[in-house]
Amino acid sequence: MRDLLLGLAFMLLGAVVLTVASQYPTMASLQYGPSLFPSLIGGGFLIGGLVLSATQLPTLKRQMSSSEANAGKMFDLRSILVSLLPCALIIFYIFASEFLGAALCLGIIMFVLMLVRKTSLPLALLVSLIASLIIYFLFSRYLLIPLPEGLMNFWG
Amino acid sequence: MEAFLLGLQLVFNIETMLVIFAAAIFGVFVGAVPGLTATMAVALLVPITFYMDPTPAIAAIVTTSAMAIFAGDIPATYLNIPGTPSSAAYVADSHLLAHKGRARETLGMNLICSVFGGLFGTLILVFVSPSLAEVALQFSSFEYFWLALLGLSCSIFIAIGSRVKAFLSLMIGLLLSTVGLDMMSGAPRFTFGIPDLMGGINFIPVMIGMFALNELMLFYGSRNEGRELPSLSKDSVFKQAPKHVKAYWPNMIRGSSIGTLIGALPGAGADIAAWISYAVGKSRSKQKQDYGTGHIEGIVDASSANNSGISGAWVPALVFGIPGDSITAIVIGVLYMKGMNPGPTIFMDGTGLIYALFIVFFLANLIMLPIGYAAIKSAKVFILTPRKILMPIILCFCLVGAFSINNSITDVWIMLLIGFIASILARCDFPMAPAILGLVLGTTLENSFMSSMLKSNGDLLSFFSRPISAGLGALVILLWLSPLLAMAYKKLKNNSHNKAPRIS
Repeated sequence: MRDLLLGLAFMLLGAVVLTVASQYPTMASLQYGPSLFPSLIGGGFLIGGLVLSATQLPTLKRQMSSSEANAGKMFDLRSILVSLLPCALIIFYIFASEFLGAALCLGIIMFVLMLVRKTSLPLALLVSLIASLIIYFLFSRYLLIPLPEGLMNFWG
Repeated sequence: MEAFLLGLQLVFNIETMLVIFAAAIFGVFVGAVPGLTATMAVALLVPITFYMDPTPAIAAIVTTSAMAIFAGDIPATYLNIPGTPSSAAYVADSHLLAHKGRARETLGMNLICSVFGGLFGTLILVFVSPSLAEVALQFSSFEYFWLALLGLSCSIFIAIGSRVKAFLSLMIGLLLSTVGLDMMSGAPRFTFGIPDLMGGINFIPVMIGMFALNELMLFYGSRNEGRELPSLSKDSVFKQAPKHVKAYWPNMIRGSSIGTLIGALPGAGADIAAWISYAVGKSRSKQKQDYGTGHIEGIVDASSANNSGISGAWVPALVFGIPGDSITAIVIGVLYMKGMNPGPTIFMDGTGLIYALFIVFFLANLIMLPIGYAAIKSAKVFILTPRKILMPIILCFCLVGAFSINNSITDVWIMLLIGFIASILARCDFPMAPAILGLVLGTTLENSFMSSMLKSNGDLLSFFSRPISAGLGALVILLWLSPLLAMAYKKLKNNSHNKAPRIS
């Protein structure tokens, strides 16, 4: 079932790539323009997606009947949500780091992730604090990466 | 000779030696902690290597990858969890031997085979690459087009699992390689008006997303911490080694040869080399029934192969700029950044960098012996390092590492997006290596095609007009037709088999 849906998604992606590629300019002096490779890749997505979906169709009916019975078992909502937590925390960093500063954001990210996996509170706090400061100073002071300072600006 | 002496100078200095030592410790750590792969380690190293001279930067990558591949055997032996995918082929044998109280003996043999395989692959790299480079000097855009296509095709045909999924994974990589300004017309493609995308997608955030963020998401999606340590063995590490080496030295040579060859094929890394070597060893063994039941012979076969595969992958990377595996895909990017453009001219360089690289390979494999021995003795420290503490720290390294490539938040978005997509694909058994090869080779493929078309006024037959180009083209077509040819051969064989009784 997952492969069937993925196959359809790839076909959709192929159609979008083909549409976008068809709008690229053509030049009279060049036989093959900037749209050639994207068009071939779009075609590849369409064909690959079609084959992936088509190979799943014969087993679809069987899977459907068994999946109805096991619908509850198939998706562990908590696991899916927790697996998305690193992504959510990266988005938090992207939007909050300018204001809060990289060091504080990194510390918060580590602290939250450790608590999710049931690390003891004092240990999570200690490790987050030390690790975030080490990473921050390693990259910003030693490697001279301009990480956002945020609130650290106020402390001078 | 002068270049060689310069190479010695580049390696034997305090900075490079310290980097090799630190990278060896880092490699052992990453390899020995299940869930952290050698590729992830190298991807995370890249932002740090940005600020190093070329020789220590390459030394860090070579040493880390070689050590991580060996260290992956430690949790495989004690926990039945391969530290890196390269140890998966013989995990059952290793773990069963550990249950018999022979864990250190097994790891000792792993170490000896890893060192032997690594040195064997390095010798091949040193002696074969310069000769191949002389041939490669004759190459034009026509040959490079076919080589890139051959590499991309190999990544599909060699991939473990579904070829359709490998093909779609490759298409993702190729699509990413088209982002940015078109080489011929200057037209922006898939940039969505974002200035940071005009120069194309940097592959380091992609690699961090694909291999590090993806692993993190899988870790948080599972509830298994995997930390039930059996009692640690107290047997001797090297006491039985002379006996095993005497009995299985042909396996070591065969495993190393297979590993180097498989490693040199684009898309096939150390893990595939180990699986194939294990299978070949089993098919040729007098005790094939013992494979999988705690037999040291299979471990010798595969353990030699995975480390020689690491060195083998560097042959096409250095000579043609075509990566042999995911690690050399990263290395190619690092080489470009350090001004060492991979390709045949790298061997004409008079600054001694190429000799420094060869010397680093030897050192990385030799240092494995003492550090590997210490790691076996202190296995408990590595195995018991809690992932619930490590993974959050790795996520922060991913974030800062992706940002530091161009000091741009766009790269963090790219890492996030690619990591998210990769985790979905990985859950559905899509291989990641073709995508990386597509991203790295996509530009070579398109640029060499366009240059060839300009030279030949759009005549497609010109791809077959030069002897080497025609040969490579025929090889690619043969590779594409191989499934059909194999089917036809099977059908023919079945038909003749069915007819045989009627005749008699």
